[in-house]
Amino acid sequence: MEQIIDSLHQFWQFTGFANCSWQNFVMIAIGIGFITVAILKEWEPLLLVPIGFGMIIGNIPMFPGLNIGIYEDGSVLNTLYQGVKQGWYPPLIFLGIGAMTDFSALISQPRLILIGAAAQMGIFGAYLLSLALGFQPNEAGAIGIIGGADGPTAIFLSSKLAPDLMGAIAVSAYSYMALVPVIQRPIMLALTTKKERLIKMPKPRQVSQKEKIIFPIIGFLTTAFIVPSGLPLLGMLFFGNLLKESGVTNRLARTASGPMIDVVTTLIGLTVGCSTQADKFLTGNSVKIFGLGLLSFVIATTCGVLFVKTANLFLKEGHKINPLIGNAGVSAVPDSARVSEVVGLEFDRSNHLLMHAMGPNVAGVIGSAVAAGILLGFLG
Amino acid sequence: MSVKKLFLLVPALAVSLLAGAQNVSDLIISEVMPVPDSTSLVDDFGVRNGWVELFNTSQGTVNIGGCYLTDDRSDLRKSMISTLDRSTRLGPRQSVVFYASGDQSNGTFYTSFKLRPGTTIYLVSNDGRTLVDSLSVPSGIPAGKSIAKFAYDNKAVVFSECKLSDPTPKAYNAGGKAESGAQRLAREDPYGFTLTLVSVSVVFCALLILWWLFAAMFQSANKKHRAALTAQNQKKAQAPAPKGDVNGEIAAAIAMALESGSEDEVAAAIGLAMEQWLSDTVHDNESFVVTIRRDSQSMWNNKALNFRNYQR
Repeated sequence: MEQIIDSLHQFWQFTGFANCSWQNFVMIAIGIGFITVAILKEWEPLLLVPIGFGMIIGNIPMFPGLNIGIYEDGSVLNTLYQGVKQGWYPPLIFLGIGAMTDFSALISQPRLILIGAAAQMGIFGAYLLSLALGFQPNEAGAIGIIGGADGPTAIFLSSKLAPDLMGAIAVSAYSYMALVPVIQRPIMLALTTKKERLIKMPKPRQVSQKEKIIFPIIGFLTTAFIVPSGLPLLGMLFFGNLLKESGVTNRLARTASGPMIDVVTTLIGLTVGCSTQADKFLTGNSVKIFGLGLLSFVIATTCGVLFVKTANLFLKEGHKINPLIGNAGVSAVPDSARVSEVVGLEFDRSNHLLMHAMGPNVAGVIGSAVAAGILLGFLG
Repeated sequence: MSVKKLFLLVPALAVSLLAGAQNVSDLIISEVMPVPDSTSLVDDFGVRNGWVELFNTSQGTVNIGGCYLTDDRSDLRKSMISTLDRSTRLGPRQSVVFYASGDQSNGTFYTSFKLRPGTTIYLVSNDGRTLVDSLSVPSGIPAGKSIAKFAYDNKAVVFSECKLSDPTPKAYNAGGKAESGAQRLAREDPYGFTLTLVSVSVVFCALLILWWLFAAMFQSANKKHRAALTAQNQKKAQAPAPKGDVNGEIAAAIAMALESGSEDEVAAAIGLAMEQWLSDTVHDNESFVVTIRRDSQSMWNNKALNFRNYQR
């Protein structure tokens, strides 16, 4: 009898109940919250569901030494986590993004590319604020990249610069990307007049196949020579796009933009979620990171819209840009472009801004990868 | 800027970059081992000599052929490095060792003088006049020890300290724990303004160059488009008000017709016709090739048939 009780006691020690703390339950509740929001509101479900479930997995209290935890060398989760830790999931996702992205909007109106540059101010605004809050420059750079509104880039950079903060940074980046419509709309309305919102932009021209093929090659050469440290992201992005546009590698493009990106997205979401273990995630720094992440989105949107307004001062009538597409420079493809479309239609049912907004939107992807490369070059 | 100017500019840039890559001022004397002991480096003839290590601090290749090594300030052309050997081209961040055998006929990487403690070794440019770098050998240096310059910043390769050490021929002289970029910035740019300014400028420049390149490359296409737009606007202004536009009711009727289960070919034809009729914002060259994949699911793989009926 005594032996049975001993065995039961020993078994109890292995259970989650014996090893849990209130922080674990908080994290599990956050994970369930993510899943709920993703299913009910359909906010970034492809990411929030894996991240949410990963949070639940990562916060199941367990007996240490069983070699199953994400931070235990050689465990299954740890092996999958290497893609995040070593930074090879994000470039693979960029390959898929490149194979999905149509750069026509940008090629037909190359002037819109600068909106993508202006919106990167969110990154550097958050960098300055992070330094002011006492973060080290490498941590500040990793936090700043949340303003790029690009999950893979945020994971890539934070895994290199501040691995300890990666969980909070990734969750913050994806959360705010899901909240883009909520964050951006009031800023866009506050910064624009009714007259500006009604600006109709000229129809973009047709883009030939030749231009679409040349774009990834020239785009890559230009950006990679200026910022070689952004090579993994930029190389994969433009390579993926070349697969799509070349017209002779459709199978590869389909795989990159379909099954491959799905697999990697699932793994990156799940493992990032798992990495947010309560003892590492529930800290004062995480709260600061969430605050700074929000501010970075606000700064990025504000700078994008204000940049267009400033540019309009110098543009002739008929060539003016609707400032409602300024927000799209923050990347977050295609959500922020969709916000431009929706807000534009609120004021003029015939004013479709989606294709115009896609220009700065994809420029934002390039811009955030370039910014990540610069930060990595300086702070790595 | 015209495309012609662009083509002139690119080779000019390339030439200037290549010229920069050949700059011998990027070379340093990184280490000198004047008095060999029984553990010292053996040359190609099995002899232990003193040696001088040169290091290329640049990111480009530098040809050291034609430069001079000397231990005499008044004779800067004492030992010339051969110009006939291709292996004198030193790659980025590469080092090379010259044996101070006192007999240059031994090979390219031998000097015509022997090393002595208490002297200074000079590296002289290929003009035979310009001093590129020097390193003083302390007079009391023990046998088997070297005097080396150490880099504490591995990225910028700034050799800031010169001290006695155990010899590390042909190896990079990393000075202990290197300072990371973040540590350096924490010291030099605590508020982050410099990094922000530089980074924002670089992001803008990169995208500006991209804009400029594309605007220049596809100038004719853009011009054609602008001309077409102007012509279209003029035509619209002169033309009478359009009749028979697809209004909401017509669109709904077509949609209902499509929904009611017409043949695939009919649906595709209506779809294409509507696309051409309604697409005033088209900007892609579409192929307008519609591929119809008929649903050929069997009892075994038909999802709908395999679903359990929901009990209400």
